[in-house]
Amino acid sequence: MANKRKHTNILILLFLLVGSLAMIFPFVWMLLSSFKTVGDVYAYPPKWLPSSWNFSNYKKVFQMIPFAKYYFNSIFTSTAQTTLQLGLSVTTAYVLVVLTFPGKKFLNSLIRSTMFVPVIVTLIPLYLMVSKASLIDTYAGIILPQVFGAFTIFLLVSFFSSIPLVLFDSAKLDGCGYYRILSQVVIPNSKSAISTAMLFSFLGHWKSYTWPLIVTNKATYRTLPIGMKYLVQESSSEYQIMMAASVMAIFPVLIVYLFFEKQLVKSITLTGLKA
Amino acid sequence: MKEKLSTPRIHRAVILGKSYETEQLRAAVVLLLPTLVAIVLLFVMPVIQVVMYSFTNYNLTTGLKTYNGLNNYRYLFTDDRFFKAIRNTFTFAALKLIIDTSLALAIALMLDSKIPFKKYLRSAFFAPVVVPVVASSLIWIWFFDPGIGPFNQILSVLGLPTSQWLYHENTALLSILMFSIWKGLGYNVVLFLAGLQNIPQSYVEAAEVDGAKAHQVLFLIKLPLLRPIISFVLMIGIINTFKVFAEVNVMTPKGGPLYSTALMVNYIYDTAFTSGKMGRACSASIILFVIIFTLTIIQSKLDARKSITLE
Amino acid sequence: MKKTTVCVLIFVLAMALGFAQGSKETTTRPEVVKLQVWYAISGASGEQFLALAKAFDAARPDIELELTYSGSYADTATKVSASLLSGNAPDTAIMAAGQLYTGGRNDYSMENLVQDPDFNFNDIFKGMLEYGMFEGRVAAVPYGISSQVLYYNKDITDKAGLDLEKNPPATWAEFFQIAKTAMQKGNINNSSDFYGFDTSDGVWLFKSMLGQNGNAVVRKSGGKVGPVFQESSGVEVATFWKSLIDSKLMPAGQHNNAEKKFLAGNLAFIAASSNRVTRWQGNTGFKLGAIMMPGFKNRSIALGGNVGVILTEDGFKRDASWELLKYLLEEKNHTAFALSTGYLPVRKSAQNGPVVQQALAANPLYKVAFDQLNNAWAYYHFSEMGTMDAFFWYALDEIEKNVLTPQAALDKAAASLIKEIE
Repeated sequence: MANKRKHTNILILLFLLVGSLAMIFPFVWMLLSSFKTVGDVYAYPPKWLPSSWNFSNYKKVFQMIPFAKYYFNSIFTSTAQTTLQLGLSVTTAYVLVVLTFPGKKFLNSLIRSTMFVPVIVTLIPLYLMVSKASLIDTYAGIILPQVFGAFTIFLLVSFFSSIPLVLFDSAKLDGCGYYRILSQVVIPNSKSAISTAMLFSFLGHWKSYTWPLIVTNKATYRTLPIGMKYLVQESSSEYQIMMAASVMAIFPVLIVYLFFEKQLVKSITLTGLKA
Repeated sequence: MKEKLSTPRIHRAVILGKSYETEQLRAAVVLLLPTLVAIVLLFVMPVIQVVMYSFTNYNLTTGLKTYNGLNNYRYLFTDDRFFKAIRNTFTFAALKLIIDTSLALAIALMLDSKIPFKKYLRSAFFAPVVVPVVASSLIWIWFFDPGIGPFNQILSVLGLPTSQWLYHENTALLSILMFSIWKGLGYNVVLFLAGLQNIPQSYVEAAEVDGAKAHQVLFLIKLPLLRPIISFVLMIGIINTFKVFAEVNVMTPKGGPLYSTALMVNYIYDTAFTSGKMGRACSASIILFVIIFTLTIIQSKLDARKSITLE
Repeated sequence: MKKTTVCVLIFVLAMALGFAQGSKETTTRPEVVKLQVWYAISGASGEQFLALAKAFDAARPDIELELTYSGSYADTATKVSASLLSGNAPDTAIMAAGQLYTGGRNDYSMENLVQDPDFNFNDIFKGMLEYGMFEGRVAAVPYGISSQVLYYNKDITDKAGLDLEKNPPATWAEFFQIAKTAMQKGNINNSSDFYGFDTSDGVWLFKSMLGQNGNAVVRKSGGKVGPVFQESSGVEVATFWKSLIDSKLMPAGQHNNAEKKFLAGNLAFIAASSNRVTRWQGNTGFKLGAIMMPGFKNRSIALGGNVGVILTEDGFKRDASWELLKYLLEEKNHTAFALSTGYLPVRKSAQNGPVVQQALAANPLYKVAFDQLNNAWAYYHFSEMGTMDAFFWYALDEIEKNVLTPQAALDKAAASLIKEIE
């Protein structure tokens, strides 16, 4: 009986190992290919290993598009959006958990319903609104319309709900007003939750594609995903250059992910369980 | 140390028959103000405007904006490409939901057993989720290249027939589906793993003591207890599937061979920004929104009927 | 609480800043006129354009240029349209001919500007001028114009025993046979994905072929523009197109992949833009050749590419923009631009100058594009031309995949187009 289980476990392990290889294979390919030459790419049958290891493709990426600027723009806008979004989400989540007021249920449903609205539906009027306010091609235009995130709010709601009531009660006894409760009870006790929420928010904003696509015209304001799209247009036949750009776009994300993996996973599971 | 000699007076107000603390009301208003402004500006107003524009012939290039009643809707209902987009969306959504959920569940169940390297495996499965869509789409475009891509190379080495992947109407949508599943699997795996790890070991042990075999444990204990997670995954899945845009836009511009990969979102985007027909795009957006809303209501109604808890 | 106050303040501040950036009207010419110029030229060609524009900027201290690459033709058109609606449009743009200078704007001031004696209007090729027209009136000046050229892989044709310099095909029927031979005998890579002919822009080639068969694509009659491509002369072209697929010379629905195939040595002939000359020359793993496009009843070539448009309504900026365009189109400037990018010179006078003659002798590939110039034409531009291209795309897809017969596909496209025009 135990042997049988051992056998099935070995099979399971094998299957999962192969599966995990399939998952990370694209990244490996991307890394190897970023060093390939044009000849390697068009060789038939396709070569898997580069013929030489040099960084010329990476150099070309920087020549073809202002990659550094795009990187900076992504970092700047993502950071700003994340900060603003956290500010909004923390206060909103706090209110939803701690305070009682008329229309609370309605507000809850309203926020929940915004999750159902795909970006595309609000894209057009938002674009026209931003246009009329002359915020096209400005950092404000990229950042501001993306500060609202229902997911972040609900993430924080589930964390805040697990703060022991006794902490609130003792704070109230000490005469704290509701603002003080927020700053001195809730926030200090949810540091890991808030940092996880920040992480999620940052990752989401880093990837955002549709909105920055239409709200920026000038290269000076483009973010990384849009910059990569332009790279594709410029170098449509040169896969190896696109791979070098992809490496630079993806690797920082992977590194951040590996660092924070535990927290990320924890917060996903919490949202799932509370659902 | 100072002691509070009397409890502070709590002021209350009565609104619509219910009593509330005024201090809470004040705090709520102040703290909620930015969020409310954001919701109104970023959601409420745009949705109202989209509804309004859907009854006009708003055109980006000419700037004309005149009321034309139900013309847009009439055009959409006679446009075979619009219906194709709807059909593509449903096909894509159904396949993605089924495969994503069942595959993720299977993998989570496997990860939950007594095997080593769990941490590495979980990281490997989740990694594609965090990675930017555009960058990873580019890698897969190369994979799918019929002439110099590694997929066809592998297929021919194995003696199997090669495929046209993104270039043939029968395989294009499936190719994008492959990419989408690769991308989203890890997220569901983590969710299911959490649910599984939440099942008290005592339940499983008790069942085994009673002589239950592995598959009975699975179907009679684990799966039923996972039901809330499964329905959460399905709900998120429906929402996310209808939001898929970037990979289709990057991998198959112009809607793919015989318009087989254009999803509703792509149709709307192309109508609005490539053809400039904003009014019509708004009408299509409204239809999309109605569809999503209906589906989630159906899903939650079905879900409310059968749910069990740990009690 | 501080966080939210800060947030609200930032939001309000941003809105205020945004509104404060409004433009101001002046009545006297400012010392330095600032122009926003967008251009849709990518890659090395874009660099050449940039160099020229910057030279203009340096030579004219009273004009200052802010240059932006605005993406592909499609993206640029969308952005310019949107920016026009919100008042953020650039002053000048180099962009594809298309919906942009369509009826809604009704701006034909270019008609008067081109009468400027410095500009030498009559020196411009007739077909190119047509390309800059909308509804029969001059609305833009041609700038980066190209035509399609038939490139071929000399290694493949050598292996197949063909000498295209000696016996180039004059008609598509002749070409059909040549491509077939190349395909049967010329598989240098022994690839299973080897084809005789393809084009990276099916719609462009199709329009060229329509013209070659005497079809004008669209015609204006009774004050309204209507499609004529569904007439029998058009159906003949579509039937030939289908025969390319049926005989397996051309792969179905793979135009997006055509250039990659050609560069990989798995495609014998490709119809691609003349500006590929600069990109591919010396960068292919095989010997590159080019011949003039064969024809049906004539050998005309449809032009494509970008034009210069003035969008601003400010008088001073308009004048400054015109100065820029004139500079860019001066014979020596534009010829230098054309020669280094593979675009075509727009001035007849350029043809005979010694500089051009030298360049042509040095690069026979380029000569092919030049020789086609006298046969170049542009179809009638109208408001739904962009959408028409989309319908052509779908129609070709349907014909290639055998979903509709050539007649049915063209009829469907024509019906859709008529519906859009209304």
